[in-house]
Amino acid sequence: MKPKLIIALLLVACASLTTVCHKRLATEKPDPLSRAYDSEPDWNDPQRVIPLNYQQAQGKRVFYHYCVWCHADSTPAGPSNRSNLNPMPPLANDGSVLNSLSDETLRNTIALGGSAVGKSALMPPWGNTLKQDDIKAVITFYRAIAQPPYQPPARPGPQYSVR
Amino acid sequence: MLPEEMGKVTKRFRWAFAASCIVFLAVLAISPVREYLRSWKRYERDYVRFAQTRPDTKRLLEDFRFEISQIWIPKMDVADRCTTCHQGITELSLQDSSVPQPFRAHPPIPHQARDWGCVVCHRGQGLATEVRDAHETTLAWEQPILSVEYIQASCGVCHRSELREAPRLDRGREILARLNCVGCHRLQGVERPAMLGPDLSNIGSKVTRSWLYEWLKTPRTITASDGSTEVNGYENEDEPRMPKFRLSESELVALSGYLSTLQSQKIQAYKFDPRVVAAWEKRPDLLDQGETRFRQMFCTTCHSLAVTRAGETKLIGGDIGPELTKVASKVNADWLVAWLRNPQEYLPHAEMARYQWSDQDLFTVTRYIEAKLTDPSLLSDVPSLGAPNSTEIQQGKRLFLEKGCASCHVIQGVATQADYGPDLSSLGRKTISELEFSNSKIARTLVAYIEAKVTNPLSVNAAARMPQYALNPGDLAAVTTALLSMRGSSEQAGLEGLILPSQHPKFRPAGAFGELYERYKCYVCHRFNSYGGTLAPDLTFEGSRAQHKWIVDFLKNPQTLRPTLTFRMPQFNIPTEEATVLADYLTMVMQTPNVNLAGTDAKVFTPQMISLGKQLYDVKYQCQSCHTIGSTGGYVGPNLTNVGNWMNPAWIEEWLKDPQSLVPDSIEPRRSFTDEERTALTAYLMTLKQSGSARPASAGRGQ
Repeated sequence: MKPKLIIALLLVACASLTTVCHKRLATEKPDPLSRAYDSEPDWNDPQRVIPLNYQQAQGKRVFYHYCVWCHADSTPAGPSNRSNLNPMPPLANDGSVLNSLSDETLRNTIALGGSAVGKSALMPPWGNTLKQDDIKAVITFYRAIAQPPYQPPARPGPQYSVR
Repeated sequence: MLPEEMGKVTKRFRWAFAASCIVFLAVLAISPVREYLRSWKRYERDYVRFAQTRPDTKRLLEDFRFEISQIWIPKMDVADRCTTCHQGITELSLQDSSVPQPFRAHPPIPHQARDWGCVVCHRGQGLATEVRDAHETTLAWEQPILSVEYIQASCGVCHRSELREAPRLDRGREILARLNCVGCHRLQGVERPAMLGPDLSNIGSKVTRSWLYEWLKTPRTITASDGSTEVNGYENEDEPRMPKFRLSESELVALSGYLSTLQSQKIQAYKFDPRVVAAWEKRPDLLDQGETRFRQMFCTTCHSLAVTRAGETKLIGGDIGPELTKVASKVNADWLVAWLRNPQEYLPHAEMARYQWSDQDLFTVTRYIEAKLTDPSLLSDVPSLGAPNSTEIQQGKRLFLEKGCASCHVIQGVATQADYGPDLSSLGRKTISELEFSNSKIARTLVAYIEAKVTNPLSVNAAARMPQYALNPGDLAAVTTALLSMRGSSEQAGLEGLILPSQHPKFRPAGAFGELYERYKCYVCHRFNSYGGTLAPDLTFEGSRAQHKWIVDFLKNPQTLRPTLTFRMPQFNIPTEEATVLADYLTMVMQTPNVNLAGTDAKVFTPQMISLGKQLYDVKYQCQSCHTIGSTGGYVGPNLTNVGNWMNPAWIEEWLKDPQSLVPDSIEPRRSFTDEERTALTAYLMTLKQSGSARPASAGRGQ
C-alpha cells in the first residue's frame, strides 16, 4: 500500500513539473516579428519576412526614399532605373557583391560617390544630403536583407552566456 | 534516577539542543540567503563575470556598484530601476547581438536612456526590482511592458504630428482617419472632417434600391469572377471605407427602401448639343473615342479600374476617388452627366475637380462609361424589391439612427449623431479592469483586447454595435499601435510640456485664384505651404522655379516629365484666361527668398560656360544616370529636354547649391560644385529648349 502511494505521489509531482516546464518553454519562444520595430519581405522569397530593429527600419526608410530607384528592380513608382545604367548598379540585397565589402567601404562609397572609390561616377555622393546616421542605418538595412545572408566579421574575446 | 539513566537523558537532551540550534540557525539564515539570491543581485554578479570576459572590462566596470541603480529624472517624474539588471544599456561596445540579455546595449535611437528613462517608452513598472514585477501584469500593477511590435505607440504619445521614423504609427493614424473612425469615436489628434461618408439626402436620385440593398449587404462594388478579389477602390489588402454592418434580411429591405425614397432634388437630364449627339451617336468609334478621352484626361490618377491579366485581377489607378470598374451598374446615367459637370452641386464637400467639359468629350466619355464600366450580373442575387411601403420606410428611418449611420452620413432633416461609440482618446492608458472581455478566450491585456475588438467586434462583446472591418495583419498592428498611442493628457506631469502638437494650417487663398484653386481642387494632390496632398509636387515655391509661360502651357496641356510615373495631372481643359490667373498668382506669391530671380537674369552665359557645363553634365558628374535629355538618360529625376523653357536660371543655380533648401525631401543629392561649375551647368541647362507642341512637361510624385 505505502510504496504504491509514494510512487503515485512521485508520478503526480513529475507530471505537474513537466507541464510547468512545458508552459515556460512555450511562453519563452516569442515570434521574432513581434519583437521587431518594422519588417521587410525577403526580396527573393516574399513569403519570408525579415524583422528589422530601429536602426534597420530607419535604413529602410532612407533606402525607399533615396536609393530604391537604382538599387532595386521595382520601385514605388513602377519600373526601375537600374537596367538603364551601365555599369548596372548592384541590387541592395545582393550579398554576393555587398557581403565582401566592409562597412567602411560602403560608407565611403555612399558618402563620397562612386568616382571617389574607383567605381562608376553614375553613383553620386550622398555625404552632403544624408546624415552620418542615415548612411549607417542604410548599411545595417542592406546587411539585414542580404541574400546570401551577411556574416559580420568575428569579434575578438571569448563568448559568454547567461542562463 | 540512576546515574547511567541520567547520562542518557543528558545525552538525548544535548542532541535535541544541537538539532534545535541548527534549525534556529537555518531559520536565521533564510533571510540573508534570500537577500543574497535576489534576482537583481544575481544579474549584477553575472554582469561582473561577463564584463571580465570582454576586452574593455575596465571601462564596463568603471561606474559599477553592487546596489540597485536607477535613472532618476525629477522634472519628468521618472525613476526607473531597469538599469539594475540591464547594466549595459548605454555601453556602445555591447550592441552586438551576441551579447546575452539583459546586458545588451539599447539599439541606437534618438532618445538616450539616460535622458528619458525606460518606462516612458516601454511601459511596465520602473520601480520594480523583480523580473516579473517589472515586466508583467501583477496584482499591484496593470500596465505590462509594451511589445516592440507596438513600441511606436510610445512615440505617438508626445509626437502628435506625422513621424516618419515611426512608420507603423503613421500608417495606423492614416487608417484611423481614412476609415472615418472619428465618425463614431473621439480620437486624440484626429479632427472631425467636413464630410465623413457622402451626404445621402439625394441618394434616391443617384442609385437604385437594389444597388443599395447589395451595397449594405456587402459594401464592395467588385467581386472578381472567381470571387477572390473584393474591392471598392482599393486593392484587397486595402480597406473600403464603408464597413460591413451585419444587417438581417428584413433590415436590408427596410434600410434600402428608406434610402431609395430620399430624393431631395430631382436630377435634370443635361441637354447635349444636338449636333454633337447627331455626329457621334451612330459612329462605330464612339466608345473608343470615349475610352481614349477617359485615358487622356487621366481619370485614373484618382480612380482605379480592375484589370484582369493572366488570371489575376488587379486595380490600376489611384485611390483618391472611388474605384469605377462597375460604376455604370451603380449610378443612373443622368446623375453621371450631372456629377461630371459639377460634382459640388450634388456633394458640396466632394474632392473631385470641376472639369471644363466640351459636349463632345462629355458625351463620348459618359457613353463609354455606361457601355464598358458595367456588370449586368452585379445585382443578380438581389431579390426583386418594388417601391417601399410605409412600414419599411419607417423601419428604415429608425435603423438609420439605431445602426449609427447618422454618425458618418448626413440626411437633410435628420440630426447628425456625434459620439455614437465610446471615447477612445485615452484608450492607451485603460487598465484591464476597465475593459470588457466577457467570455472571450483572449489574453487579458490591452493589446489583445484592441486586436480582438478591431478584428471582430463581436468576439469581446456579443452585443457590439461596431461594424466589421477587414484589416490585414500589418494594418491591424498599425491601427493597434495608433490606438495605444492615445493616452489622453499625459499622466506624467513632466511630459506634458514636451508634447509636440500636430500642426496643419489650412491654405485657403481668396479671390480669383482661390476660386480656381477650389474649382480644380489643386490641394487634393499638390501641397501649398505644407497644406494639401502629397501625390504631386509641392508648389510652395513654384513661382521661383517655373517660368510664367511654361506654367500657362502646362496647365492647358499637362503631360509628364517622368516616364515611369503612372499618376499624371488630369487634363482639366483649363482655358487660357484661367491658366493665366493661376500662373500669375503662382509666380507672384509662391516664391522663396533664397532664389534671386532678378540677380541671375542679368547674368550673361558665354559659349565657354555652355561647353564646360555640357562636359560636366556628361562626363564629370554623369547627370544622365538620373535625368533624360532627348532620348537618353535615366528615369529618376525629371526630363530636362525642355528645361530652358521650363525653369528660371536663378532656381537652377540655387538648386545646384542646395536642393533640400528648396524642396526638403528632394532626392537630388547635394553636391559640392564650385561657383564656376554651377554657373556653367546652369548655362548649359538653359540652352536645352524644345520647340513644337509635343513637348513633355512636368508632373510627378515628389521631386
